[in-house]
Amino acid sequence: MTWIRQQLMKAITLGMIVGSALIIWKALVCMSGTESPVVVVLSGSMEPAFKRGDILFLYMSKDPIRAGDILVFNVDGRDIPIVHRVIQVHERQDSGEVDILTKGDSNEDDDRVLYAQGQLWLQRHHIMGRAIGSLPYAGWVTIILTEKPIIKYVLIGALGLLITI
Amino acid sequence: MASKSAKKANLLDHHSIKHILDESVSEVVTSRGYVEDVRLSNVRLLVGTIIIVIALFAQFYKKKFPENRDFLIACIGLYVVFNGLLQLIIYTKEKDAILFTYPPAGSFTSTGLVVSSKLPRFSDMYTLTIASADPKSVSAQEPVHLTKSVTQWFTKDGVLVEGLFWKDVESLIDQYTKEPKKSK
Repeated sequence: MTWIRQQLMKAITLGMIVGSALIIWKALVCMSGTESPVVVVLSGSMEPAFKRGDILFLYMSKDPIRAGDILVFNVDGRDIPIVHRVIQVHERQDSGEVDILTKGDSNEDDDRVLYAQGQLWLQRHHIMGRAIGSLPYAGWVTIILTEKPIIKYVLIGALGLLITI
Repeated sequence: MASKSAKKANLLDHHSIKHILDESVSEVVTSRGYVEDVRLSNVRLLVGTIIIVIALFAQFYKKKFPENRDFLIACIGLYVVFNGLLQLIIYTKEKDAILFTYPPAGSFTSTGLVVSSKLPRFSDMYTLTIASADPKSVSAQEPVHLTKSVTQWFTKDGVLVEGLFWKDVESLIDQYTKEPKKSK
């Protein structure tokens, strides 16, 4: 085998591993019905149920949203989703549309301070999914990698060295 | 050939030993006038590339979930199909093979060789097999085997004694080419 062929084989094998990881992730996205099936809890506003650093598994179904559900939702203008509990649901009998109010379990006030300017309620399209399971402490890796990006570069550099040598 | 630095294997790593021996075998066979047949290798590279492209499409498609759901499912399906195809090809064609060749120029044979080798995990016996690429062809010969302990070819520092190894491989090739044809 020529040297080029060998290197090409190595590169393609690496590409296939990365590709497999991507496809498995996309399959998870399809199965869970939401753009991000796994999120990390970033604040302590849902203690004692969820602590900072926990991982949450999300699932989105057409089931009606009820008070007590723990939702992950996006607010226009914020790029980080919020994980809080539904405390009020107003459902229109004819159309099935809902107005939702949420609040973090350990927060004093409801989430109206977090919603966009003038927004009083959440609608279905803001909701990314319902929390259906969690894994404690598993999210710390992501938090550390995001808050101290240098560790990311060190890890990737080390992995790269391992593969080439 | 002799100007290359001596081949050294890590004697504790049996993959390294097999790799060095396989490389040397390829050198011996190609130096006898057999040209390497890279068609299977090319197929593997092609299917691998297709698989990577599918994954990239799935990742970088313009629309977000849930509009791209059908596209994603199509991508995942295609991915599984092509991976299955690749595994099938590897399983049926490659097995223990380390080298495929075309028939040497100017010979009467119409099929090339398949050279395969085995070095079981906890054994020191290396088995080299030369067989025809197409067992049903008229010009195919019976496969020939050589089984020897790897200790016969390496010094205790792990350097491959190429002279000794080449002799064994070349005599195996001679054994294959001199064999009387299979009687019909």
